[in-house]
Amino acid sequence: MESRKEEFEATCSLFINSVNNYFKHLTEIDSDVKVPYLKETEGLILKDFTGMIAISGSRKGFVYISADHDMFADLIGLFIGFNDPSEEDILDMAGEISNVVAGNVRANLGANFLISVPIVFKGMPDELDIPDDVSVYVIPIKWNGHEAFVVLGLE
Amino acid sequence: MTKRLLIVDDSSIMRRTIEKNLETYDLEIIGQAANGMEALELVEKEKPDVVTLDITMPEMDGIECLEGIMKIHPTAKVMIITALSDKLTGLQALDKGARGFMYKPVSAEDLARSFDKLLKRNGE
Repeated sequence: MESRKEEFEATCSLFINSVNNYFKHLTEIDSDVKVPYLKETEGLILKDFTGMIAISGSRKGFVYISADHDMFADLIGLFIGFNDPSEEDILDMAGEISNVVAGNVRANLGANFLISVPIVFKGMPDELDIPDDVSVYVIPIKWNGHEAFVVLGLE
Repeated sequence: MTKRLLIVDDSSIMRRTIEKNLETYDLEIIGQAANGMEALELVEKEKPDVVTLDITMPEMDGIECLEGIMKIHPTAKVMIITALSDKLTGLQALDKGARGFMYKPVSAEDLARSFDKLLKRNGE
C-alpha cells in the first residue's frame, strides 16, 4: 500500500516539475507551486478555462490545467504578441499547455504512458466522463500573478 | 534560395508561434495544417522543402503522417516538434525519416538553434 502511495506521489512530482519547466523555459517567469493536496470530496476544481488530457496505457486517469482567461491571454501575448485573443485562442492555449505538461512526463514514464489529444472547455461542461476510481491530487500554482490548478487523477 | 515551409500542429497558437519565431529565416510558409490528413493533402499539392510536424494530433498522428510524407515527397526535411519527450518516440521518428526532433516547450532560441542546423546541413 505504501509503495502505491509513493508511486503516486512520485508521479505527481513529475507533473509539478513539468509545469515548472513549462513556465520557466518559455516565459522566464517561475511558477510558484503551493502545497498540493489530495482531493477527497466530489466535484471538480475548475477555473474559467480548462485543458484536459486522458491518460491510458501503463497508467490510467487524467490531468487537467484550469485557469482564468487572463493567464492564458498573458501567455498568448508573450508567445505571439496578441493582446486580444479570441475565446477559441484561449481554449487552444489551455489545450496546448495540458498537452505539453502531460507529454513531458513521458521522459520519465516512457512511451507506454499514453496521452490523448486535449479536451478543452469553458466553465463546467454539461458532460464530462471522469472515472470515479481515481485518486485526485490538486496542485495549486501561481504564475505571473495568476492562480491556476493542475489536477491529476490516477487509478 | 527561399525554402517552402509547411507547419503542422493541432494548436493554432503553436502554429502561429512557430511562424512568428521563424520570420527572420528565408522561408515561405506555404500552408498550415491541424492534423496529419490535412498535412498530407498539402504535401501532395505543394511539395514543401521543410515541414514542422507535431505528433499528438486528431485524425492522423504525426508518426503516421511522417510515413505518408516520406512516401509522397521523400526529399522533404521534416522537423518533429512534440511534447512526447520519451526517447523511443524520438528514435522512431528519426528512423522513419525525420531530419530533426524537438521537445516542447520550444522557445524562440530552441527553434532558431534547430533551424540553423537544419538549413545549414542542407547547404543554406
